Amino acid sequence: MDSERRRILRFIGKGSVLAAFLGQIGAAGRAFYPNVLYEPPSRFKLKRPNDYPDGYTFVEAHRLFVIRQKEAFHVISGICTHLGCTVQWKDTEFDCPCHGSRFRPDGTVISGPAPRPLDWFATTVSPDGFLEVDSATDVARDFRLLVGKGKA
Amino acid sequence: MGDKIKALWRKTLWAWSPESERESSESIVKNFWLHWFPAKVARASMDWNYSFWLGTASASLLMILTVTGVMLMFYYVPSTERAYGSIKDLEYAVSFGRLLRNQHRWAAEGMVAVVYIHMARVFFTGAYRGTRAINWVVGVILFLATLLLSFTGYLLPWDQLAFWAITVGTSIAKQAPVVGPTIQFILLGGNEIGQQTLLRFYVLHVFLLPVFVLVLFAYHMWRVRKDGGLAAIERVRHERAMAPKAISKTKSYSLFGITPGTSVQVMSSTGLEESDQVFSSPNMSRRIALVFLVVFNITLLAALMFNAPLEGLANPSVTPNPAKAPWYFVWLQELVASTTVRLGGFTVSGALLGGILLPGFLLAVLTLWPFIDRSSLRTEGRWLAPERRRQNVTFALATLAIIVLIMIGVYLRGPYWRIYWPGQPRPEMPRLY
Repeated sequence: MDSERRRILRFIGKGSVLAAFLGQIGAAGRAFYPNVLYEPPSRFKLKRPNDYPDGYTFVEAHRLFVIRQKEAFHVISGICTHLGCTVQWKDTEFDCPCHGSRFRPDGTVISGPAPRPLDWFATTVSPDGFLEVDSATDVARDFRLLVGKGKA
Repeated sequence: MGDKIKALWRKTLWAWSPESERESSESIVKNFWLHWFPAKVARASMDWNYSFWLGTASASLLMILTVTGVMLMFYYVPSTERAYGSIKDLEYAVSFGRLLRNQHRWAAEGMVAVVYIHMARVFFTGAYRGTRAINWVVGVILFLATLLLSFTGYLLPWDQLAFWAITVGTSIAKQAPVVGPTIQFILLGGNEIGQQTLLRFYVLHVFLLPVFVLVLFAYHMWRVRKDGGLAAIERVRHERAMAPKAISKTKSYSLFGITPGTSVQVMSSTGLEESDQVFSSPNMSRRIALVFLVVFNITLLAALMFNAPLEGLANPSVTPNPAKAPWYFVWLQELVASTTVRLGGFTVSGALLGGILLPGFLLAVLTLWPFIDRSSLRTEGRWLAPERRRQNVTFALATLAIIVLIMIGVYLRGPYWRIYWPGQPRPEMPRLY
């Protein structure tokens, strides 16, 4: 009876020390996963719509293209869907310098390893009159933001 | 005259000299510096033409990298604002800083090559049979760790090459099924490459991976000893086992005077004879020193002749055109660029197929090869044994394919990753978009 009690106590004693050890290993592993990120927000303002000329304008700070067709605006991501390099606008298509993917003006794939089209970002005009982009929200490829006279 | 100086030199440094084989052995085993060698090594293990001492060359490179790396740590600052500047300081403001960085860089690229050639040597000699299979697997892990060390070292200068190599590398990791995005998040310390990423790769590069490699290297060496030496000795053992034994004659005194007879044969447990072995010091220690000095001088010469590349400061918005991985990863870049499969509306990205599944398959086959090899044990420790011809040809062809992919990537790929044949003009690309 006494030895049985000792056995259980010993088990609890060793077990709790071991559990604490494993728990700390888990905690150390969890510490690798950051909780707070000091990254730019996914929603940000660009310039005013009229600051952009007709056609494709690359916005370096946000790696995206603002495309203006008279009063209609849309924003296409400049990040290749293959492995994350920045694509370049070449008059009639987007080309990627890393692995040679090519995209049509609307971002769909012509050739190369990219598995899907370039993202289109939701775009609005902020109350104080700037283009505002939400890079966390994708929109369909018929999206157009109408600004000025054309605005219904 | 020379002998007299030698004798004098010995007298000044040694109070004692070994008088028997036993004392010679003990002088090795009881010495602090030499105790990690066996007292004796097989002559066959020491053959230059068998192993080319590639393992020793790899270890020498590791040593050079450790020492030059620690020197660089005194100046390098792992911060996105100051990393690039501290590399520039090393190049222009620190005495011999450029030399140290050059030697570190060329030794690192050399190590990738030498470790691979070492592995090829072990393959072509069939030196992974029996208990040596464990060391083969350890060796494959060490090769992977060498690649990871190169990769993590790559980010630290925080130049364009660094930034985009890490962008592509961690994007490949992201493609791994299920755990991919988590792995990428933990590697980057966030969603984007930034200060956290640089610090993480720095700690991996200067502490975790080197410690991992040193521990595994020690185990690799311990196993070589426990396996009895290089596989070349199996050839000798085989010959010794086959050779007819000379019967040793004895004489004993009997009642009738001296009687000739024969005695029991005693084989040593190593299966080698006395004449097959030599003292490890100075025979092996001297060669190790020689290999180290040759390797050191080659890296030093490379460091004096060629500068380590450094591109412009990292610009997260603009990818260089073309953006090429370091040569030992260019074959992977070729694979990810050309293995995207489209079947109807269904697409498998080349990043998954060429970046993870195909290399993973190659790695698995490589690791398990000793357990696949069913050739007879007589091929063990023999260069290009005819019985293993098909295996050797397979390995050589796979290596050749990788070399061809590297050549295409390094020499033929131009802007937008298009093929430009030699002589074909390449368009001038503006530095920015």
